[in-house]
Amino acid sequence: MKRFDCLKLLASWIDEEVITVTSLSTTAREWSPLWKKGPNFYGLNLGLCLPFAQGLSLAFPRRKVIALDSDGSLLLDTSTLVTVADINPPNLLAIVFDNQRYGAMGPTATSRKADIEKLAQGAGIKVTATLHTVEEFASSVKPALDRSELSFFVAKVEPGREPIENEYMRFDGRPMRDAFVEKLRRYPDYCG
Amino acid sequence: MNEPTLRTIIETLKEEQIDLAVTLPEEPTYPLTEALRADPFFQTVTVTGEGHGIALCGGASLGGRRSVFITGIAGLLVGGWALTQMGFYSVPLLIMASYRGDIGDRSGIPGASLFLFNQVGEPLLNALRVPYRVINQNSALKRQIKDAHFSCRSYGTPIVLLLTGEVLW
Repeated sequence: MKRFDCLKLLASWIDEEVITVTSLSTTAREWSPLWKKGPNFYGLNLGLCLPFAQGLSLAFPRRKVIALDSDGSLLLDTSTLVTVADINPPNLLAIVFDNQRYGAMGPTATSRKADIEKLAQGAGIKVTATLHTVEEFASSVKPALDRSELSFFVAKVEPGREPIENEYMRFDGRPMRDAFVEKLRRYPDYCG
Repeated sequence: MNEPTLRTIIETLKEEQIDLAVTLPEEPTYPLTEALRADPFFQTVTVTGEGHGIALCGGASLGGRRSVFITGIAGLLVGGWALTQMGFYSVPLLIMASYRGDIGDRSGIPGASLFLFNQVGEPLLNALRVPYRVINQNSALKRQIKDAHFSCRSYGTPIVLLLTGEVLW
């Protein structure tokens, strides 16, 4: 299964009412050209993507927030899974794209024994699944978008990245942050 | 942390409409986090690591939710990367931290370990370019919390209040 195919499907299912957060990995590069409508915070790495999304889910409790994380980033701080399970935000959907690689730098522990879904289950997250095909991705993720329940999916994807124009590399740091906040400010439930 | 100090902090947080408190239990600030937990005005979140706690609080704060992260200075060291990233992305974030290792700390941790915090705590914040204030008098507490909350939102940055002296001990 290719990450880009999953992301294309996800982009076709959501609208500008949904908030997304990505890790710094290939996910950010591939999500960037696919998703321009709603607010997306790109590139939180080294364990920060999922908890940042969780914080946004507390700021917007009636709005779906999606964390598009990756195996290398999440493995740095798996204790965040315990916090996610503990708070149990019903509007949070987490998808961890697991290519079993640190980019082009070699395998992560998920290529050996580590199982991120089992870690999530052990942390106490009730709705979990490991997805191996686009069909499985569609049958699990699409319904979860409409449910009011914390959901956590591990999408097993091939290494490598789609050869696409890399807009993300030109849109980082403060400009990205400002564009993100600008879109949040348009929401009627923004309280800042 | 005594009762009048707790009251001052809680009243000030309420005046600032800060209703989300994120924390990882830590001895000197424990009375504060317990008092917040007992008050229905606040949603309190207990995290299992300071790094993701700072990121969580940052996400909420950038999303417009008025929030505070409560920790100790050791938690700032643990959460150094998260603090760096919140600063880089101009995330407004109010942090209140016990200043373990400050002069006068009689909390019972062996002196050399305490002194470590004294040696590296403020230099770390300076290195990360995170503004901070040391508050050691109750009379300054209310104003300092309000100022820090205003400025973190105005500048778009984490700001740390290091609690010590009569505020903490």
